[in-house]
Amino acid sequence: MGQVFNLPLLLQPGFRVSDRAVFIPLLSCFGRIMSEQMLRAYNISVDFSGLRALDQVTLEVESGEIVGLIGPNGSGKTTLVNVLTGHVRPMAGAVTCSDIDITHMTPRNIALQGISRTFQIVRLFSNLTVSENIEAAAISHGCSRRSARRKAGQLLEKFGLERVRDQFANTLSYGDERRVEIARALAGDPKFLLLDEPAAGMNETESESLLELLACLPSEQKLGMLIIDHDMGLMMRLSHRLHVLASGKTIGEGSVEYVRKLPQVIEAYLGSDGNGR
Amino acid sequence: MLNRQSVLTFFLLIVPILLLPGAVGIMDQRFMQRIATVLCINLILVLGLQVFMGNSGILSFAHIGFMGIGAYTSAVLAMPVRMKSMALPDLYSCLATIELSPILAILIGALVAGLVAALVSYPLMRLSDAAAVITSFALLVVIHTIMVHWSALTNGPRTLFGLKSATNLYLAAGSAVVMVALALFFKESRAGVLLRAVRDDEIAAVGMGAHLSRLRWYGFILSALMAGFAGGLWAHFITSFSPNAFYLKETFVILGMLIIGGSLTVSGAVFGTFAVTIAYELLRFTESSINIAQLFPKPVVGLTEVVLACAMIATLILKPGGIMGAREIGHWNIFRKFFPDKNV
Repeated sequence: MGQVFNLPLLLQPGFRVSDRAVFIPLLSCFGRIMSEQMLRAYNISVDFSGLRALDQVTLEVESGEIVGLIGPNGSGKTTLVNVLTGHVRPMAGAVTCSDIDITHMTPRNIALQGISRTFQIVRLFSNLTVSENIEAAAISHGCSRRSARRKAGQLLEKFGLERVRDQFANTLSYGDERRVEIARALAGDPKFLLLDEPAAGMNETESESLLELLACLPSEQKLGMLIIDHDMGLMMRLSHRLHVLASGKTIGEGSVEYVRKLPQVIEAYLGSDGNGR
Repeated sequence: MLNRQSVLTFFLLIVPILLLPGAVGIMDQRFMQRIATVLCINLILVLGLQVFMGNSGILSFAHIGFMGIGAYTSAVLAMPVRMKSMALPDLYSCLATIELSPILAILIGALVAGLVAALVSYPLMRLSDAAAVITSFALLVVIHTIMVHWSALTNGPRTLFGLKSATNLYLAAGSAVVMVALALFFKESRAGVLLRAVRDDEIAAVGMGAHLSRLRWYGFILSALMAGFAGGLWAHFITSFSPNAFYLKETFVILGMLIIGGSLTVSGAVFGTFAVTIAYELLRFTESSINIAQLFPKPVVGLTEVVLACAMIATLILKPGGIMGAREIGHWNIFRKFFPDKNV
């Protein structure tokens, strides 16, 4: 594990590159050495004014897999996603994407590396139409206006949003907002997709169809997915692996079957009687 | 690149502008011609402000400053050489012998305004919200102070005179039509879409890869270019002016037009300019009628400003997005029925 880390870290001291153009040759250079597509947070610690939000958490998401990040409220799930996307600077530890050190990159450059996210509280562009919301994401990843429009059309169809394509984003229902945000996150053809509570506020049928959509994304688009959600049923059916946080520490990770039987997980998350859904 | 709705918006918006020369021609009165020309110049200013303020969501006070830069630059370049020794005795010798055609001078004035904007504004574009607004206000004060004190170029706080009149209604209206197209084009361009995304949610937009300060910068430069152009047109219409013409009073009028019409759309800019200009002239007429008839023991003054201010407040309370809201006129449902978007 340490081996993989040394290469990017060697380059790191004083090495501040702020633009994508400089990173593309770097990316292809490393890509040749190790073609492994992996988003990895290594020994991440985060302090919020004395409160330890994350404590030496290591998490890996490989291309093509769905990792479920679960844990009780305040266990640091969203903070970990914020660290991965550069919105929160870790106090210690490193984040790499396909062996490029992205720990100190700005959120913008991380996004351009192909890491895309949605937010716990939906953040849509409220005065843009649904279609424009998705087009904007495609444009920011270098699409022309025309190809962005085409891409938006495809995603709208995929997510069943065609009926609202010309509505402003601030007129949508809650479930539609969530779907638009996921479609927007996909518009830049990300390598890794981080979803923070994608099914929150959706009814049973809606989250069921969302599950079907999300389940086939990794193989279709060759992306790795990290999902946070409180719907345990959904998480257990969707995830290939689970990663459990409690009070900022990893208390278990592995296959769904393995994790749900761990006593510390049962105690911290599912309730001590062990009868979680 | 523009879809059908945007093209339709363009044609609907230029109708009132193209009607102006016709309407004024019928009435054939000099003061009507004057009102219509000023309306077109104001429209260019409002459109310029919409390009930055509407798309970036940041109120810019500096706009009128760039109008001043365009006005003075074009004036210095186009003034007849024999007038220069009188009007600008301290003018630098390299400029004293230059006499360009007014149109060329106006275009150069616009470029200079854009260039100045490009140079000074990049660091400012990282700021958001109140900080950005206050900075733009400070920028207006700086530009104004320079105009007042750079006597060699501006004749100081005194009036600069001696320009030939070159702007007529046709030139102003034609320019306004071009500017409507430019504003619509920018709004629908890649930079425009991303800038509007940044406006609505900075964190989400940057988090998906938008370059916040660069996008705002593009908008600001285009906005300053348009303001500079309007300044040149205005200078060659009014022919004598002082730095005070490019300060708070004009800022307030232009801002009022955009706020009342709706800053989110180009349609709002056009509608606001027409509505406020018409209301303004009617009020001025009322005011002077009242004063001539001596209805009150003392003359009524400032009616226009007070009413404009109240209209601004009312708009912000009742319809914060302005009268036209967030949808361009060509996107309205009535037009959608007749011109369905085939570009699906």
